[in-house]
Amino acid sequence: MKRDIFQAIADPTRRAIIALIAIQAMTPNTIAEHFDTSRQAVSKHLRILAECEVIKQEQKGREIYYQLEISKMKEIDEWLEQYRTIWESRYEQLDTLLAELKQQENKELKI
Amino acid sequence: MKTAEVSTPSDQEVLIKRSFDAPVNLVWQAYTEPALMRRWLTAMPGWSMPVCDMTTDVGGKYRWRWRDDANGVEFGFTGEMLEVAPHAKIVHTQVYDPGTMGGSMGDGASIITVTFNETDGMTNVATLIKFASKEDRDAAISTGMTDGMEMSYKQLDEELAVMKVRTPAV
Repeated sequence: MKRDIFQAIADPTRRAIIALIAIQAMTPNTIAEHFDTSRQAVSKHLRILAECEVIKQEQKGREIYYQLEISKMKEIDEWLEQYRTIWESRYEQLDTLLAELKQQENKELKI
Repeated sequence: MKTAEVSTPSDQEVLIKRSFDAPVNLVWQAYTEPALMRRWLTAMPGWSMPVCDMTTDVGGKYRWRWRDDANGVEFGFTGEMLEVAPHAKIVHTQVYDPGTMGGSMGDGASIITVTFNETDGMTNVATLIKFASKEDRDAAISTGMTDGMEMSYKQLDEELAVMKVRTPAV
């Protein structure tokens, strides 16, 4: 099965892993220490993230470090940012409209 | 009240959440009366909404179309109402109508679920967009990318214009 970035961010633990290693590259052990779930579960999430090409491994001495593929994350962030922009601009107009409707309703109640 | 929250609950869905400072009956009105809806459901700055036909009966069809007032380019969405629970929930299909703008968002219909929830006079609105397939989602991404980029550039232009005015000439 072909993995993609949406699978990477669909899971809360994976999102937390992404947030964690966004700050700095970490070994699987260090990452696992941040979670209550088992090492195996964290390893599975790391494998999925690697298959989604959201994180990559880097060998430093005897340790393996995981780091974030920023460019891959940017792809999805740009797309979601468009939803945020368009919906926020709509909602701001909806705020204005709702304020008007509320005012009208108040007037009607007074009369 | 805070700005819209966008997340991806699964690899085929996008969820948009926002709360409004109004009771649910008014929010419902703004979502179901075409004359009110066209006042806020805009496409992008500088676009108008010449067509906003809709009924909120189950099985009823709707048609939304937007026009770029600068060059007359149009696009829209059409669909059918699947579920309507007053003051609580609207579920409808959504198909991209390329109009004169072109582009594609895939062949399948997306399913849009809007839920309304009032607490202490504030109404929380959650909009879940479920794409028919991953292919459709990817098509939406590529179409959205181009439009979104154009829009961002326009906004950037406006920002820059404002900055120019603010920055005193040295």
